[in-house]
Amino acid sequence: MSTADETMQAIPHVAKQQRARVLLGMALGDKVFALATQVAAYLVLLVLAGIILSLIVGAWPAMKAFGFEFLITRRWAPQLEPEPVLGALAPIYGTLVSSFIAMLIAVPFGLGIAIFLTELCPHRLRKPVRLAIELLAGIPSIIYGMWGFFVLGPFLANYIEPSLVAAFANIPVLNSIFSGEMVSNLSLFNASLILAIMILPFITAIAVDVFSTVPPVLKEAAYGIGCTTWEVVNNVVLPFTRVGVVGGVMLALGRALGETMAVTFIIGNSFKISGSIFAPSTTISAAIASEFAESSGLHQSALILLGLLLFVLTFFVLATARFMLMRLEKRAGA
Amino acid sequence: MLEKITVKDLKFYYGANLALKGINIPLYANKVTAFIGPSGCGKSTLLRVLNRMYDLYPGQHAEGQILFDGRNILEPGEDLNLLRSRIGMVFQKPTPFPMTIYDNIAFGLKLYENLSKSELDGRVEDALKRAALWTEVKDKLGANGLSLSGGQQQRLCIARTVAIKPEVILFDEPCSALDPISTAKIEELIDELKHEYTIAIVTHNMQQAARVSEHTAFMYLGELVEFDETSKIFTSPRDQRTQDYITGRFG
Amino acid sequence: MPSYSARQRKSTIVMALCLMATLIGVVWLFLILFSLLINGLPGLSLATFTEMTPPPGSHAGGLLNAIYGSVVMTIFGVGIGAPIGVLAGTYLAEYGRHSKVTPVIRFINDILLSAPSIIIGLFIYGAVVVPMRSFSAVAGSIALAVIVIPVVVRTTEDMLLLVPNTLREAASALGLPRSYVIRKVTYRAARAGLITGILLAVARVGGETAPLLFTVLSNQFWSANLLKPMANLPVTINNFINNPDANWKHLAWTGALLITVAVLSLNISARFFGASKDGQ
Repeated sequence: MSTADETMQAIPHVAKQQRARVLLGMALGDKVFALATQVAAYLVLLVLAGIILSLIVGAWPAMKAFGFEFLITRRWAPQLEPEPVLGALAPIYGTLVSSFIAMLIAVPFGLGIAIFLTELCPHRLRKPVRLAIELLAGIPSIIYGMWGFFVLGPFLANYIEPSLVAAFANIPVLNSIFSGEMVSNLSLFNASLILAIMILPFITAIAVDVFSTVPPVLKEAAYGIGCTTWEVVNNVVLPFTRVGVVGGVMLALGRALGETMAVTFIIGNSFKISGSIFAPSTTISAAIASEFAESSGLHQSALILLGLLLFVLTFFVLATARFMLMRLEKRAGA
Repeated sequence: MLEKITVKDLKFYYGANLALKGINIPLYANKVTAFIGPSGCGKSTLLRVLNRMYDLYPGQHAEGQILFDGRNILEPGEDLNLLRSRIGMVFQKPTPFPMTIYDNIAFGLKLYENLSKSELDGRVEDALKRAALWTEVKDKLGANGLSLSGGQQQRLCIARTVAIKPEVILFDEPCSALDPISTAKIEELIDELKHEYTIAIVTHNMQQAARVSEHTAFMYLGELVEFDETSKIFTSPRDQRTQDYITGRFG
Repeated sequence: MPSYSARQRKSTIVMALCLMATLIGVVWLFLILFSLLINGLPGLSLATFTEMTPPPGSHAGGLLNAIYGSVVMTIFGVGIGAPIGVLAGTYLAEYGRHSKVTPVIRFINDILLSAPSIIIGLFIYGAVVVPMRSFSAVAGSIALAVIVIPVVVRTTEDMLLLVPNTLREAASALGLPRSYVIRKVTYRAARAGLITGILLAVARVGGETAPLLFTVLSNQFWSANLLKPMANLPVTINNFINNPDANWKHLAWTGALLITVAVLSLNISARFFGASKDGQ
């Protein structure tokens, strides 16, 4: 028996040695590939470090010149002699307010659409409706800017804003927010509305995704005891998905804060802080986009410092968003 | 009988969890050894230690010895790729690669051997014949492997394994996803294959173990309860637990 | 507790509002496309693709140099970014799946994915334009690559994680080295998803403007020199639309139509491509 086995093994033995040689030859390539993936993955961290570092280096002169004052100075006078006066308050104000108004509009719409898509929409319509909404996210920012500038802005200024001004004319506080003194094609409100349209697909997509993490059995149980569709949404779906919805909203906020080209076209790029949302304003990204190419020296450094502020702001908003979405994912997975 | 593989005092851990509690068992050359036992008894785990598949995952480790032709494959320097090319494995669910039937088999071959087109064609045909699949697929070698039926896919996986000429083939419940006719074909095939390969098969199906194997091991809770010739295990087991299992009292 | 009919009425009202929200939400896409067609289509002719951008005050001209520049920079941007993204995604899903760094990298990547693109422009200005002392197509391509990377990392990781482990085990069981298993089997199983991710990345950067504003600038003329400013569609649109010159404005609308059609078709084909394979 043992001799038979030896003859049987004679052939595999040669093959085995050859095979070992082949595998040894591939070992180097195997290691190189593994290393390449690791290097590429760490490159992601390096990009983040590079962004932060280059922004800090670029912003350093402005930080030294203006210090903390930068954050609370309203004036933006890059041409002032002998020394320019540059403060971030106006663009910070414009960034926060335009994003806030955009969220105010987009969140109810986005959630409404998501509720419609998950609870009401006939199956055959779901895909096309979702596509029509999600394709909004694919349209380049500059197209929104053009469209807002030429189409939406004039329409709002001529038809919508005058009636809003009239409606709030006699109500204190609101009449200064909706002040009609400077209604124009270029305003904070117009920029906010465009932003709202742009972030609508993000809110909708995430809301649809997180709504579908609700176990069907929970909804069925609620329907089973006679709940109406709205009661199921309000008492089961929304409480169950709250963390995810907030995460999605934060993600959209992160987008809105940093949105550039669309806003640059229609916000009017004015560094004046006005109480009226129909007045021109500016945002951090719009200020950078419209002034950076022609800037130099301290002016340029101040723009980079604005960029650094924007990055820090969006970083924390996006980090919070991801953190909340991760929490939901963990729960859905558990 | 020649012991192709000898397992000595094998302990296996998932993290801190002891899954195999000191296993001693031989796999005889050119014989079929069946592993039976209730779910979670460690039989699949044992199989996955034999080709060190567990190395793909962190936190799992083995202690003891597994002698393969007299060499301990648990030694740190073992070339796992070479080991796995010598100890093939067929899985519970058919796992054809997402490529043509031809490439499913040629793919591994081309890696190990420098073959001409005609040699390669011959080897593919040979492998498909050994897996009793040739007549069914010879006219559609260019079709995607995923287009075959479940039973055919499983035989394709067997063909893929035998194509690279392993010395041992491990079957991990190869028929659990298949219908009775496909199952019968695979069993016939295993009977054929043992003339050239040493075979280990994990199965839930005791009739299958009785039909295909010369030796049977009954495992329970990470221990090897009993190992003997198949006929003895199924007619006069020495251990009460084996007796209970094969008579269907639990498992 | 209010009567059932009152509760039912309330539910109906809310659902009607949701329906209205949906109708209003859907309408924007069509309004924007309609404006683009009305304003962009009349200017579209063969000359758009065969002639250079004209000087102000002329009546002719096209977008050839801008289209060329956009295509070149998109190709370079994706050409640099996609392989890095695929490799990094491979690390997260394969080699580094159980590593402690992986969640950190994934987290940072997700943040970069949504980071303002103008910040990327500032980064590349500081990291490439300033040291090279020139705006250039290279700088623009790198900026686009930085935007491509997170998109591709994310889709690659997601798609590779969808590949069942049994397939990896089956390939490893043949003794294939890990890199072979990944490149020949796992990639192939996830191919549709990987390509979808890259198509989406192309769509994403195809219309990007902000990161190009101060990395490539633009160019009135034909330039194939990658180390010099290069014309490109988004920045050309940006420059032309803000100008009173009527001919420029028409060209800008036509360019906008072209970009939007290209980007949306890429988006749609990426979706269909991804979906058709999922069904298998």
